[in-house]
Amino acid sequence: MRKNLALVACLFAVFAMLSLSGCGSREEVMVDPIDDMEPAEDVGAISGDDLPLAEVSDETVYTEPVSSVFTDIHFEFDQYNILARDEAVLQRIANWLRENDQVRVMIEGHCDERGTNEYNMALGEQRALAARRYLVGLGVGAARLGTVSYGEEQPLDPRSTEDAWSKNRRAHFVVSE
Amino acid sequence: MLEMKRRRAPLAQLALSLMLLAAVTASAQVHLNVSKAFGQKVIVAVPLFELEGGTIVDPVAARDVLEFDLGHSGFFDIVGNREFVDETEIDDRISARIAFQEWSALGAEILVKGKIGGDLTEVYVEATIYDLAQGKAIFGRRYVGSRERWRDAVHSISDDIVFKLTGETGIAKTKIAFTSSVTGSKEVYVMDYDGENLRRVTRQNAIALSPDWFPGGEEIVYTIIKEGRHQCWRTTIAGSGTKLTAFPGLNDFASPSPRGDEILMSLSKDGNPEIYRLRADGTDPRRLTFGRSTESSPCWSPDGRRVAFVSDRAGVPQVYVMGASGGTPRRVTLQGNYNTSPDWSPKGDLIVYTSRVGGTFQICTVDVETGETIRLTSGAGQKEDPSWARDGRHVVYSVKQGGKTDLYMIDIYELEPVRLTSGAGDYLSPAWSD
Repeated sequence: MRKNLALVACLFAVFAMLSLSGCGSREEVMVDPIDDMEPAEDVGAISGDDLPLAEVSDETVYTEPVSSVFTDIHFEFDQYNILARDEAVLQRIANWLRENDQVRVMIEGHCDERGTNEYNMALGEQRALAARRYLVGLGVGAARLGTVSYGEEQPLDPRSTEDAWSKNRRAHFVVSE
Repeated sequence: MLEMKRRRAPLAQLALSLMLLAAVTASAQVHLNVSKAFGQKVIVAVPLFELEGGTIVDPVAARDVLEFDLGHSGFFDIVGNREFVDETEIDDRISARIAFQEWSALGAEILVKGKIGGDLTEVYVEATIYDLAQGKAIFGRRYVGSRERWRDAVHSISDDIVFKLTGETGIAKTKIAFTSSVTGSKEVYVMDYDGENLRRVTRQNAIALSPDWFPGGEEIVYTIIKEGRHQCWRTTIAGSGTKLTAFPGLNDFASPSPRGDEILMSLSKDGNPEIYRLRADGTDPRRLTFGRSTESSPCWSPDGRRVAFVSDRAGVPQVYVMGASGGTPRRVTLQGNYNTSPDWSPKGDLIVYTSRVGGTFQICTVDVETGETIRLTSGAGQKEDPSWARDGRHVVYSVKQGGKTDLYMIDIYELEPVRLTSGAGDYLSPAWSD
């Protein structure tokens, strides 16, 4: 019972983090160590039968934290092809999506600032579509995967350096129920 | 290799135009045949406006508006010495006559005498235009309007002067739509073409993109990224809007047809960004392009029979032209390896677009038939999103420089950029109304 409650609490924390940061955090979520908890004192009128059961719906019990599965993938300048180094990430995402088949994903496509604002909107969409196509090729249902381009509107790093630019050229995955 | 090239009439044509000018002066005709006489401007004196009644509208501001309109039309040079001009005007008022010879001595050929008056609710603007060689008035105009819209009244007079003297349709009453995030979210705004009278159109609290006008200058179509999705909306300037499309993926670059009954868009709903043609209410999408490349940024030819758009089918973005019902696209940008954001001139002959030249975005035109490419802008600053005025002569575009983006306009013959915006914030994605 306590274990379920603790798990649910941690998963809520994960979702809060995801929705606040908007991008995949790579931090592991620590589950409270159950063993250190004090046993309950006598609680008087409350008996075992009256304790409410925690509502644990199936979809919140994941085998691993969502944030470590859905990491950003990246692209070369002016390109939208999937890089070899991201194939493992997409494979991991596809595996997870097959195990959690009620989940939908919106794939965001982003660009660095160097193209025109207008063309970057199309390029961002191509990046999202490329990720989507790859996942569909790995067996994920196409209807579960949406695409949205942000062009150069939402850089992760606003600086004008090669390092910032390469971070900004990305596809980002937003999971929803 | 793109070259910075002014549109100069070749020598023979120049000789012809000088002869024409002599003929014009001799017969004292006022109409200026601008298509032959490049660079032959009519010199206009615009003295301070006469004020009737109290100072309801600042007569100095009224004169400034008229002078800006005429001076930037491309057809007139304004007599520059305001002191002499205004002294001559005062003398006229004192002596209750017009000293035509004095005005001519200032170099003027045309004299515009303006008058402004009214009360708290209503304003009238009057102008009488004199041909100094003939020594007489050739026409007059009077406009009445609300006090808040006094600028429109002066702009109307400017357009009338341009039309009467050149036969060309002026741009003084046109507007420019654009996006700005000065409020914290990117919204659509509208301003008068001279940079005045900025007003906000949308209140979506999201990311508004690439506005474009319906013919008539009253309604705007734009894209919005809202709640994680692209949508296309149509709105009046007053801000009442409806959603047109919300397909999965792109709902972008909406471009209304010359008759306003259809829109072109780039949609990715079928798995790839392609060009579609839809009804102006967002229904009945018909796909025009096919293949695996990226198709975006469509626009119409002025006769509505062809479209131009950007495709990377050659490996890099270039501008292509195609029949408005589809067919085999023909590439029209032949120089450079990154050409985007086309807009087709209302005169039909040129497409203006953004071109990456040596690492910097510049504005260029290409002749659709001959392929002649001319660069309009030069120097530092990223110039994007050009849009034609209805005179087929002026282009508005954005310039990003020193961390700030502003709107500029340029006359494709004069090639002198004129800055239109200067307030805080960035001004992007301009579209010029008709």
